Amino acid sequence: MATRGTDVPDWAVQALAEVYDPCCREKGISVVDMGLLRSVAVHDGHARVELLLTSGWCPFAARVLTDVTDAIGAQPGVHSCEVEIVWDEAWTTERLADSARRKLRFLPDPVVVGDRDAYLAAHTPGGQP
Amino acid sequence: MIGDAFVFDGVAHPFNFTPKNAYGTPGEMFANHLYAFHATLTPEGQPVMSAEEFLREWTPADLQQMVFDESDTDMLVAMPLPLTDLFRDGLSPWETCAELASRDADRTIFWGSVNPLEGRKAIDLMERQVGEFGAKAFKFYNVRYDYGSPFPWRMDDPQIAFPIFEKAQELGINLIGVHKGVPLGPQPVEATQTWDMDGAAANFPDINFVIFHVGLPFIDETCWQLIRFPNLYASIAATVNFVVRAPRLFAEIIGKLLFWCGEDKIIYGSEAPIWRPQWALQAFKDFSIPQDLCDGYGYPQLTDVAKRKILGENLLRLHGMDVEGTKARLGRPQSH
Repeated sequence: MATRGTDVPDWAVQALAEVYDPCCREKGISVVDMGLLRSVAVHDGHARVELLLTSGWCPFAARVLTDVTDAIGAQPGVHSCEVEIVWDEAWTTERLADSARRKLRFLPDPVVVGDRDAYLAAHTPGGQP
Repeated sequence: MIGDAFVFDGVAHPFNFTPKNAYGTPGEMFANHLYAFHATLTPEGQPVMSAEEFLREWTPADLQQMVFDESDTDMLVAMPLPLTDLFRDGLSPWETCAELASRDADRTIFWGSVNPLEGRKAIDLMERQVGEFGAKAFKFYNVRYDYGSPFPWRMDDPQIAFPIFEKAQELGINLIGVHKGVPLGPQPVEATQTWDMDGAAANFPDINFVIFHVGLPFIDETCWQLIRFPNLYASIAATVNFVVRAPRLFAEIIGKLLFWCGEDKIIYGSEAPIWRPQWALQAFKDFSIPQDLCDGYGYPQLTDVAKRKILGENLLRLHGMDVEGTKARLGRPQSH
């Protein structure tokens, strides 16, 4: 399961279901399934969103911020929205949803593979593992 | 040499970041992203340039000083950028790279670069870069932003790419690099994916293709390609610069590459002047994959033998150079 934090209400998950991680748009992986979402809170119509980035150098950070702001800001009862990228917690692959993990990490961990050459002989030529 | 490892740096660019060189906002975005990489990934204790210091014209002398005088690098690839969609001179002009190489021809190898979308003009330029300037390989960029819109081309395109590869072979070149991953500025990330490398590798089995920036972010798919095609190689240029700031991320990338692709297919590059080479070289030389990742995931350890291959021996082989002879001739004792 994706680590989306306990501070993310279902309405926010639904609102962000089609906001894609820029590097994974083609694969259809949302910011939720990517595990970027840490918290969403609304007070007096003002929403505050905490996001983790997969990498601090992400050149698309600005696009994610805009997309998330627009999606949350469009929800009923939300009059304004601020999105903060948090740095006190590192994104890890443990935050991926199972569906995202299947799309992104199709090679098994080596410890499961054991004999690499035998594995490759059984899985090549053609196809993916 | 760093320790007993001969260092052959697979990529440095004499950038021309002067403001007038950029085509408007897209070019400025591209340059600013490169500065962000410098500022973000340079570790504590190392000098971080201001934007003004970084975003200038870098001369061949600057590159020589950073790579040869201030690091334990023994050989270098002077690599152009053909980004004439974003910068008037392409950002790292091939003429400047040829000059950089000519200043120390023993230690510096010139790679050519053209825009295959230019057809006959590109082929003519390949002839000139090889014939007059001694290019030993070519580097390509699929992602373009011509006329304000994404304008990508693919490495498996029979009309665009294959005539270029055929020309390279005709010129005696069997080594081609390609930028993948790490989209910059307004470039579309989709066109930086590696899937088109299957068709290139399959149709040109006598050309060795180096995929640059493996793991940023595409890693599993690239590993699976390297497994299936013996003529595909992985450059960890830029990837290696995560070694200090994000060591576990780097460990996962290098661990996967070592297990699936093997130590003979991984190549180092500094990306100078984005980063000064020495800190990453030293950190890589000292690096071990954390034992819990070896135990938990089954990654092999990054051995001294693997480090020697990655830091220089593999790239020497790809250039058809005698490894031990070149090490004896050009290897400099470690001094940093």
